[in-house]
Amino acid sequence: MKNQDLVDYLKYCSVCQFCQLRYLKARGNEYQNKQEYFDRVNVDYEEEIDWTGDPANKKKRQNVCPTCLGLFSEEFKEQLLQSIENTDIDKYECDGIVVAISIPIVLQLRQLSMWYALLDKFGDNINLDRAPDVSLKEAIKLILNPTICERLNKSYDISNGLMLTINLSHSEEQEGVSQLEKLNSLVYPRKKGQKSEQISRSLIEKKYTPLRVSSELFKNAFVVPPSIPTESLKFDSVSLIGPSTYVAGRYRKLSRKLSHTPWVLNGERVMDDSIEEIIIRNIAHYFCDDQKKVNFMSSGREDVDVRCLGAGRPFVLEIPNAFRSSLSSALAREMEENIDVSQKVSVRDIQIVKREELIHIKMGEEQKRKCYRALCQIGNIVTVDILKRLDFQNGFEIQQKTPIRVLHRRPLHTRPRTVYSLKPSVCRQNKNLIILDIVTQAGTYIKELVHGEFGRTVPSVASLIGQHIDIIALDVVEIDLDWPPSVCTL
Amino acid sequence: MPTEPEDPLEPYYYNHVPEIIGGIDVPSITEEWVENYPSVVDRFFTRYYYIKESPEPAPYQVLFHSNRVCLICLAPEHPAIKDGIKSFTFDIGNTDRSKNTVKGKGKKGGMVLQHDSTLAILTSEQNKAYKIPSCVQSKLVEVNTAWVEAPKQLETAGEGEGYVAIVLPKPEDCENIKRSLLTQAQYKEKWTAIQMNAAQKLANESNVAKTEQKSAQTEQKSAPVEKQNE
Repeated sequence: MKNQDLVDYLKYCSVCQFCQLRYLKARGNEYQNKQEYFDRVNVDYEEEIDWTGDPANKKKRQNVCPTCLGLFSEEFKEQLLQSIENTDIDKYECDGIVVAISIPIVLQLRQLSMWYALLDKFGDNINLDRAPDVSLKEAIKLILNPTICERLNKSYDISNGLMLTINLSHSEEQEGVSQLEKLNSLVYPRKKGQKSEQISRSLIEKKYTPLRVSSELFKNAFVVPPSIPTESLKFDSVSLIGPSTYVAGRYRKLSRKLSHTPWVLNGERVMDDSIEEIIIRNIAHYFCDDQKKVNFMSSGREDVDVRCLGAGRPFVLEIPNAFRSSLSSALAREMEENIDVSQKVSVRDIQIVKREELIHIKMGEEQKRKCYRALCQIGNIVTVDILKRLDFQNGFEIQQKTPIRVLHRRPLHTRPRTVYSLKPSVCRQNKNLIILDIVTQAGTYIKELVHGEFGRTVPSVASLIGQHIDIIALDVVEIDLDWPPSVCTL
Repeated sequence: MPTEPEDPLEPYYYNHVPEIIGGIDVPSITEEWVENYPSVVDRFFTRYYYIKESPEPAPYQVLFHSNRVCLICLAPEHPAIKDGIKSFTFDIGNTDRSKNTVKGKGKKGGMVLQHDSTLAILTSEQNKAYKIPSCVQSKLVEVNTAWVEAPKQLETAGEGEGYVAIVLPKPEDCENIKRSLLTQAQYKEKWTAIQMNAAQKLANESNVAKTEQKSAQTEQKSAPVEKQNE
């Protein structure tokens, strides 16, 4: 089969030049310089006249391409760029884009039809199992994506780009799909009890090749070669989804009446605010419109009545569909100042981080040491003997059952935990009070470690001193995780 | 010149290190101290009671956590505590409660308990056997096997520490369960009444016994007088 014969036949079928190139297996920038490629593969080149210009030429090139339904026409490109520019794309401050064009099924059926037509025409030269053309998906990448990038002056960035989702439709779609449903029930009859298969793009890709479906059957349902369509593709919608941005920081919790996340009991709020909400409402609006979609993650959490001091607890906000992916340090400081106004939470080191860094948050939750300070009370005056019994420079193991306070929603387990150190001091003004500095493995319940929870944590501070001891207040004083990095403020 | 004896606690006194966070001078943790700080039980649980009437009245305590988890305990007035506890077992004949296992958040596989299902059996030093009832229609989550090894320690265990089992009622059953149990005030009243009755009965019995004794004596002395008394 000569390339010239192929192109002549495609021309005879009124196929556009871009599609001709597809059938010539052009896979690079050939689409930008058609003539060169035609010359190279020994095909006569005849310049296509842009019919949008001179109305006199309209006759010459007026049909819509039967294989791409006008997807690659100049007119369509212009429409596409127009509708992208009509969106609020300017709102998004990002350098990269990703384009996802969803094409109607009828377009795929037309590729198939052409495949059968080429088989009829060129017989053995055409593979029965591998499509003779460069797929539309690939051609879109080669033809449309560079055009869009160039016009918008953005790079193509698959991992972190702004996603443009473009939905296309065609007037023949319904008819094509119902024909395919009929054909499908003939080619792949439904077995008893089997669900009817949904017609989808991937179904066509997987199950429809001339090898699997005979030419006769296909021709019963569809015209081969594909007819010249009366209409071209239409735009359904263009939607934009910004990349996810990750904002990290460390929070300090100064209030003993503030929950970590919204606390709702029987549909009613127990506390009007939470760390999560304070942080999100002061940061998220800068990056996105819908704060409800923002996800707050932190390296563990503390109880409502526990403060978190020192350098604070690392957290990350995952902000989907963000229109910003950068943050000036001045603005980060401004956010921190705004959070300080709450007087309940204070945040430092606000910064943008990469998705890959989120692993630190989880690690901090599960593996890192935590330092606490507990205010404890005993029934009598503290003695040196008691203090000595609570002085542990080296660690010890404890066995801790799931605390009763969370037992209704967590499984019952006995967990081994390491207490790395204990250091007691006593309050000068009230000698019933012991201030205990505790370093433990992540996941240790400190309140239960102190009072022993009726013997469910052993050993406990209570069992070490052989008498009742209760915990009045608890502070987290340090979380041993050097992430996110400290931000220097000048 | 005699010097003041050195304070042995001196090296241990707490020294608050000032810290400013978000423009706020963080108060020392010692400022959290309050007078009459309530106990763990007072902070998180409500006390309920159940009196098992037969074979002889014995009171049990249910510590109802605000999250509906319940600790089943002997009430402090339980007769076995005074009498002394000789043995304790979760083997109640047809089942061994200590073989209870629960899996997952839903506590799958936990034994299903009615309020009068026996949790454990304890025997007092007077060889009286008490079948400890579950008190609460629920699922068995955990049993406290410490008492099997050391039953004597149950006599001196503090409030809550002496829990026999931890059970979890269904959320929708909680209100009914609470209504069916005695509150602290109701229990006090009822238990006092029971004890008064018992004392009365005891007194009556001893009176009867005394009278009988007396009458026996009188009978011996002069039979006709006794007849008059009747």
